[in-house]
Amino acid sequence: MTVMTPLIEVTLRGLLGRRRTILLALLAGLPVLIALLIRVSGGRPDADRILDTLVVRTVMPLVALIVGTAAIGSEIEDGTAVYLIIKPIARWRIAAAKILVAAGLTAVMVIPAVVLTSLLLGRNDMTTTLVGFTVACFVGGSAYAAAFVALSLFTTRALLLGLAYVLIWEGVLSGLLEGTKFLSIRQATLGLAAALGVDVPGEPLAAGVSVAVLATVLVGAFALATWRLARFEIRGGD
Amino acid sequence: MTASGPGGSIFDLGYQSYTGPRLGRRSAVRALFSQTIRACFGIGRGGRAKIAPFGLSALAVLPAGLAVGFAALAAQAGPAGGAIENASPIRYETYHGLVAILIMLFCAAQAPELFGRDQRYGVLPLYFSRVLTRPDYALAKVFGLMLALFAVDIAPYLILFVGRVFVAPDPATGLAEEIAALPRFLLQGVLVAGLLGGIAGLIAAWTPRRAYATATIIAVFIIPPIIVAIVAAQTSQDLARALVLFSPGDILDGTNAAIFGSIPDSPVVASVNLPGWAYLAAAAVGIVGSIGLTVRRYVRIAT
Amino acid sequence: MTASPTAPAVVAALEVEHVSRWYGNVVAVNDISFGLGGGVTGLLGPNGAGKSTLLHLMAGLLAPSAGRVLVEGASAWRRPEMYRHVGLVPERETVHGFLTGREFAALNARLQGVADPAGAAARAIATVDLTEAADRPIGTYSKGMRQRAKLAGALVHEPRILLLDEPFNGMDPRQRLHMMTLLRSMAAEGRTILFSSHILEEVERLADSVLVVYAGRLAAAGDFRSIRRLMTDRPHTFTVRSSDDRRLAAALMADASVFGAELVSGHVAIRTADYDAFTRALPRVARDGGVTLFEVRPTDDSLESVFSYLVRR
Repeated sequence: MTVMTPLIEVTLRGLLGRRRTILLALLAGLPVLIALLIRVSGGRPDADRILDTLVVRTVMPLVALIVGTAAIGSEIEDGTAVYLIIKPIARWRIAAAKILVAAGLTAVMVIPAVVLTSLLLGRNDMTTTLVGFTVACFVGGSAYAAAFVALSLFTTRALLLGLAYVLIWEGVLSGLLEGTKFLSIRQATLGLAAALGVDVPGEPLAAGVSVAVLATVLVGAFALATWRLARFEIRGGD
Repeated sequence: MTASGPGGSIFDLGYQSYTGPRLGRRSAVRALFSQTIRACFGIGRGGRAKIAPFGLSALAVLPAGLAVGFAALAAQAGPAGGAIENASPIRYETYHGLVAILIMLFCAAQAPELFGRDQRYGVLPLYFSRVLTRPDYALAKVFGLMLALFAVDIAPYLILFVGRVFVAPDPATGLAEEIAALPRFLLQGVLVAGLLGGIAGLIAAWTPRRAYATATIIAVFIIPPIIVAIVAAQTSQDLARALVLFSPGDILDGTNAAIFGSIPDSPVVASVNLPGWAYLAAAAVGIVGSIGLTVRRYVRIAT
Repeated sequence: MTASPTAPAVVAALEVEHVSRWYGNVVAVNDISFGLGGGVTGLLGPNGAGKSTLLHLMAGLLAPSAGRVLVEGASAWRRPEMYRHVGLVPERETVHGFLTGREFAALNARLQGVADPAGAAARAIATVDLTEAADRPIGTYSKGMRQRAKLAGALVHEPRILLLDEPFNGMDPRQRLHMMTLLRSMAAEGRTILFSSHILEEVERLADSVLVVYAGRLAAAGDFRSIRRLMTDRPHTFTVRSSDDRRLAAALMADASVFGAELVSGHVAIRTADYDAFTRALPRVARDGGVTLFEVRPTDDSLESVFSYLVRR
């Protein structure tokens, strides 16, 4: 187990370069900024709406995307992944470390934003909003992060594919095709929030289905990442 | 010219220096411009480079193709078919909403390649030591990107246009009916290509690393409309009215509504009730500003 | 051409058995077999010959399309435990730039599960002579320093088998000498060391035995002088200086082992197909003819001539 610590450390240090950290902080701070703006200008408090549209649908997947695709993707791209692969470490440990860091960093960025926004703009049901969205974003954000870590092991254009998934599939298509609603991490996250009492617009996914989808994504991503790492090929120069 | 002496020999291999005409600056700019357009679609590189641009373009024209197909079938069905066709959600004024996100993804995918690669591989000195000036380089790249985006944007409209002309009872009346839409969607196409391409190019020029550029471009396109919607719903309309003009997605929604005289897709834009020329002016400022800043970036970049 | 390349008959720490690797239509490695024991082996070939691909196959980073690679008796592919005894120094320059040299070595040590990572890292850093710069980020290193940092990372767990992909790239002569001495001493301890290069002098100076690859195929294996002697369809050339060159040349032409003798100003250039017969015949002919030999030197017994012959067949 102690071999996970250096893996986690080096992944974290690699992820928190100056530019990336600034970008993530800006993204995570945005909902809080808007909430402050609304609060200060005496507007109508409605934390749910911000948390739904800005956090769950936008900031959370974007943060998970940036962090998830870079956790091992940036090392593959610049050629330093080899130093992790040629070590006598079980492949599942490497996968677990990467996913833990990606999910953890996503949570660390997103949860405070959720909490602050709820506190600033919550109405009478503020506790429900806070708890509901915190849990939902924790699980949903981790699912996104895990999925993007696994994706980055299969393609170098994981960022773009992930964007297409979030914007085209989750944003447009699965809204059009009712039957495919469960194939969306976003809908599962909102469904989980709804199950915890949050008032989610539209018809959220049932609680059981939401949990099943998120669990499947988390476990499946971990399994896929392990499988792929065991067979990961690194070509030589000439 | 072979020369030999006791110590060594020089052999004439037939090398000649080029003494022919040299094409000037205009040629260089045109070459870079056409290369940029080809790079936008991944032409000249392997199959993988073509997946994103062609995939997104195909998705963009798909609804138009379907609409034309349905229209053709509806025309067979007579007057009932006409009613169905008029109820179709795929029309000129609604198409922008369908295609905007795809154009944004196209920008996010291709702009980093166009502007970032040359910086990352350090080949800018090769360009700038030619007859091509720095503004030439920047403008050729930016306009190349914009032209490619313009083509992708108006392709579905053209398909709709041509389809509907020929589906009409006879082409002459069809043309007369549809002709009004032509300058409209061309103008909207120019604004879309100009604004989205200009902003994407600017971001990509400032962010050589591909992943950051892609993420930032997408963030700049999709986050502001959400913020504006929240602000509009929860605070004063005046604040929303000011913010709307800083959101490229909403600006283009507004120009679309103004040009076609229709209801805007976004409820925010509809509620904010700004006059059409405000959006057009904002778009113009955005286009010119982003081009200017991109040129400035390349004029001042250190190589 | 008739002599097939035979690998030295030692207990093989690493076996490559009829390994091929292709990418679609491109064959990068074409049916290569050899065994590696202790000592330093040089993998020689021009760029694009498949050296890196072969090294990555041996390091378990690529799966062979055909054949198998055995490291200490077991398959190299998909067996991470083997890395306890195998170290690889890859060709690519990039290492985690934000880590210092010491941190990078320590990271490798910790990932290897070495008992005292800090101590092992310090030892490895000292071995590669990087102690002065060890606490600066690798991003600030020169190319040669980066190579040494990579080597330190591969040495922390004292591997039995060490694979190096173009290790002398970017090193100045002093650093190169230092690393050669280091590798030689490691080989003397019984380790198996394989390094690849396209520079003949490096291989000639360092390697005990040579593997020559060209266009994905193994052209020759073994000690390069023995390889030279196996090349029977190409005459050896000797340079002989004597008291009477013309007389010597005429007398030698009568001997069956000599193909040709050429008088060049100051010496005789002799071409012979039979190395052994000629070396016996020369003193006899000289004595019988009353000619004194001042200098007898094989002109093409260098790795360069061996190599150029092999790649031109």
